Amino acid sequence: MFQGIVKIVVQLIITAALAPLVSGIIKKLKARVQHRKGASVFQGYFDLLKLFKKDVVVSHNASWIFTATPYIYFVSILAASLFVPAIPQLFSFGFIGDAVLVVYLIAIGRFFMALSGMDTGSTFTGMGSSREMMISALIEPSMMLVLFTVGLNPLVGSLSFQAIYKGFAAPGWGFVSPSYLLLLISMLIIVIAETARIPVDDPSTHLELTMVHEAMLLEYSGRHLALMEISASIKQLLLITVICNVFIPFGSNAGVIQALGLYVLKVLVISGVIAVIEINSVKLRLFSVPNHAALAFILAVLGFMSSFVFGR
Amino acid sequence: MPLDDIALFSGYEYIFAALLILYLSGALLSLLVCRSQKGSNAVANVAAAAASLTGIIFCVCKLLIYNGRSFDINLKTGIYPISISFHIDNLSAFFVLVISLLAFVASIYSMGYLKHYYNSRNIGVFGFLYNLFIASMIMVVTSGNIFFFLVAWEIMSMVSYFLVVFENEKPETQRAGTIYIIMTHIGTAFIIAAFVLIYQYTGSASFAEINASGIPYAVKNVIFIFSLIGFGTKAGIIPLHIWLPKAHPAAPGNISALMSGVMIKTAAYGIIRIVFDILGGGYLWWGTAILLLGGISAIVGIAFAFMEIDIKKLLAYSSVENMGIIFIGIGLSSIACSNGNTVLAVFSLTASLLHIFNHSVFKGLLFLGAGSVHYSTGTRNMERLGGLIRKMPYTAMFFLAGALSISALPPFNGFVSEWAIYQALFASAGTGGSWMKIIIIVTAALLAIAGVLAAASFIKTFGTAFLALPRTSAAEEAKEAPRTMLAGMGILAALCLAAGIFPVHLLKLLDGINREMLNASIFQGAAGYSSLVLHSYEGNTSISPAALAIIGLLLIPAVLLAVRYMSKNSSFRNYGTWDCGYRRLDSRMQYTATGFSKPVRIVFRAFYRPQRELQIERGSSRYFFKRARYKVSTVSVFEKYLYEPIVRSVVNFARRMRLLIQTGSIHTYLIYIFVVVIAMLIYYARA
Repeated sequence: MFQGIVKIVVQLIITAALAPLVSGIIKKLKARVQHRKGASVFQGYFDLLKLFKKDVVVSHNASWIFTATPYIYFVSILAASLFVPAIPQLFSFGFIGDAVLVVYLIAIGRFFMALSGMDTGSTFTGMGSSREMMISALIEPSMMLVLFTVGLNPLVGSLSFQAIYKGFAAPGWGFVSPSYLLLLISMLIIVIAETARIPVDDPSTHLELTMVHEAMLLEYSGRHLALMEISASIKQLLLITVICNVFIPFGSNAGVIQALGLYVLKVLVISGVIAVIEINSVKLRLFSVPNHAALAFILAVLGFMSSFVFGR
Repeated sequence: MPLDDIALFSGYEYIFAALLILYLSGALLSLLVCRSQKGSNAVANVAAAAASLTGIIFCVCKLLIYNGRSFDINLKTGIYPISISFHIDNLSAFFVLVISLLAFVASIYSMGYLKHYYNSRNIGVFGFLYNLFIASMIMVVTSGNIFFFLVAWEIMSMVSYFLVVFENEKPETQRAGTIYIIMTHIGTAFIIAAFVLIYQYTGSASFAEINASGIPYAVKNVIFIFSLIGFGTKAGIIPLHIWLPKAHPAAPGNISALMSGVMIKTAAYGIIRIVFDILGGGYLWWGTAILLLGGISAIVGIAFAFMEIDIKKLLAYSSVENMGIIFIGIGLSSIACSNGNTVLAVFSLTASLLHIFNHSVFKGLLFLGAGSVHYSTGTRNMERLGGLIRKMPYTAMFFLAGALSISALPPFNGFVSEWAIYQALFASAGTGGSWMKIIIIVTAALLAIAGVLAAASFIKTFGTAFLALPRTSAAEEAKEAPRTMLAGMGILAALCLAAGIFPVHLLKLLDGINREMLNASIFQGAAGYSSLVLHSYEGNTSISPAALAIIGLLLIPAVLLAVRYMSKNSSFRNYGTWDCGYRRLDSRMQYTATGFSKPVRIVFRAFYRPQRELQIERGSSRYFFKRARYKVSTVSVFEKYLYEPIVRSVVNFARRMRLLIQTGSIHTYLIYIFVVVIAMLIYYARA
């Protein structure tokens, strides 16, 4: 029991501490490539601290949903991160959670965020909600397919992340196969879409053209905005963690310190990959996003087919 | 059997008889006192509430204590093999429980809801139909032989028709009623055909005695197809769904809750009874067919729902989706059965039954909520609502609970059954062959899209009807619903949460059905089964909604405290929504429900075939117009490409036949009669 609580606390600390850093690193890399100096990688933390100290302005039109949303989003995403820990040793609740639960815990945040977008009566926030739901309707099936395929792997045979971590860590490099590569690319597209990054959305502006995730947050300020921002970066870290531990699983069954070090390294590498993708692509028109999502879906289907129907 | 046990056991039949008599007396008394509207209202609803409370207690006792045996009541009539016979096993008891639960809540709700029919309708007639409707549904799921089943089924269909057309002065209600009565009778015809075949080949009419082992393979298939069409029509399975989104919204609020919450579940009862109980699980293609139909219904149903701006139509389409999810579970169970994997069959069937229970609770809640909105504002069009969360805070809260449940968000009950369905899909994919794997993975992907679209539909509903600024004066002047209506919704909202956090207690109620249908239990084999942890097939993964709730309950105060500490010097200010610095924002600038669903409509335009109409009235300037009218509608592809051609060809055929044989001349008709009589005489003379 005590050990479980320690594990939870450690996992929560890792998540909360690492999440803004990942966003900071991506921003820094982007800046360097564009020949800018860029803000410090720790700027995310300073911003959050500042936001917590700022006053909160809430619209007259808003109801309690608007005020409750940041807390619900934050708590649900923290809870989700408990089921996708940094290293297998941190599974405190492995036996009571699985991939489907994680997907639906993430969906809680999305549900309330989209609702709060409708709450203030602003056109922009409503537009964000509407677009967010379209994008997730397109992305969700690929996500489910990838998770199902990973879970159906003979090494795993379960949808729980504990079994998935264990199954993939066991055979060294033996897990690498065509199917695995297809799923990895599909998962990368999913992560980019889910975390509102270029080419699906642009996290650094709120122009009308890119009004998806940032548009929903338009009416938020102060500590509410801080909670929404940190929740978004935790969600990003969570999805990156899935890639780290499922698709690059080597070293995760080493000692705790070693595994943690490797985990941080892997997170940094994947952040770098996401930054490179972001640098080298342009924001798509909103109605080109379905093509992008279709690509993720087709890759996931091919991954599934090559894995189970054709064998490897 | 010990003696006192026998005494108690036999007493139970009287309780069941008593609850039916209570419903019937409620029905008749309500007619008798129809001079007094208040009297009718009180009599009808108190009788129904008392009867359904009896039903709840009866079924819980049956499922928990007497789940090893079944009750039989037999009243012989003069005509063999027709008898009024009830056979209550665990499956029947479970459905009676679901019906009674929703009926109880709906009766409490009706006490307030019926007030807005005062002085415009006959409350006595409503009370009569209402009680008869609940009683007929209970008779459907408890009838012990096929003939009595058909009688009860027909009573249910007819009474529900009268309830659908209760507000009969509206033309669209009449049309809805007509389509409903036609579709339901097409379905009934197929059910009759299936039952006659069963009776012909087994020689037995009683559900308990039918032994299907003698039925040839081909006939079994025909029986299955007929009952799938027959019950599928009642369930609203695509493409037999067209009556559902018309009939359910047309009925009064409490009736639509009962129709969507429980009446369509009697179809699931029929399928389970025929496929598992009578025909013994079926062949591989049966399950596959049910699974595919379920998957298609889930995605198409919710895709249509997302486009609706009428709250009750949206809910009706979402019932199509949920029946699809229920059918997915039944299909998986049948597939596992035909492969001889009883454990998986049990798991899938349980998932499906769990969803039947959960859906009846949250869909009942949502329809009652929609009824409250209609009661207070007089409209069901969400584009004319808005801001109701301030005028009707409790209704809004309960509706939100229903919306969270139906969007399958933990810790509400919809999540548990959806999780179980996903696990059943996963386990079936793991055990099936290549083709089965592909079918199942496609179904899982469809279910994932359906899940997001369901959430989107309810964000849209709640966001436009309850949040932001009121769009019309009706919404602005709305008042909270009466206490009885709130109480009804409150009970269901609490149940949504309770069933979501403690699902294992529900499973214990359900498990008798598994033992009865498949001779296995969901609790066997799973090591370390605790009452707070829900295990998947073979225990390969598990969730504990209770532990999740505890994590949430611990994290929320911790986060609140931390945030308060970190922002202790900041203040809180109310101000207008950002309006780009022009003038004050008004309700016309808000995002609309139609606008909310537009991106999806554009992406899937090949399916929706949206049509828009734009009328502009220009004034003196070319650039500023005085009025603009924008209308967008989607085509119901099934009505246009499936039903319209059929209807057209039937009408054409009839027209041609009229010219050919039905000329209207009495002489020709006399010749027909003469020819038929001669033909019959020859036939019998030869025999």
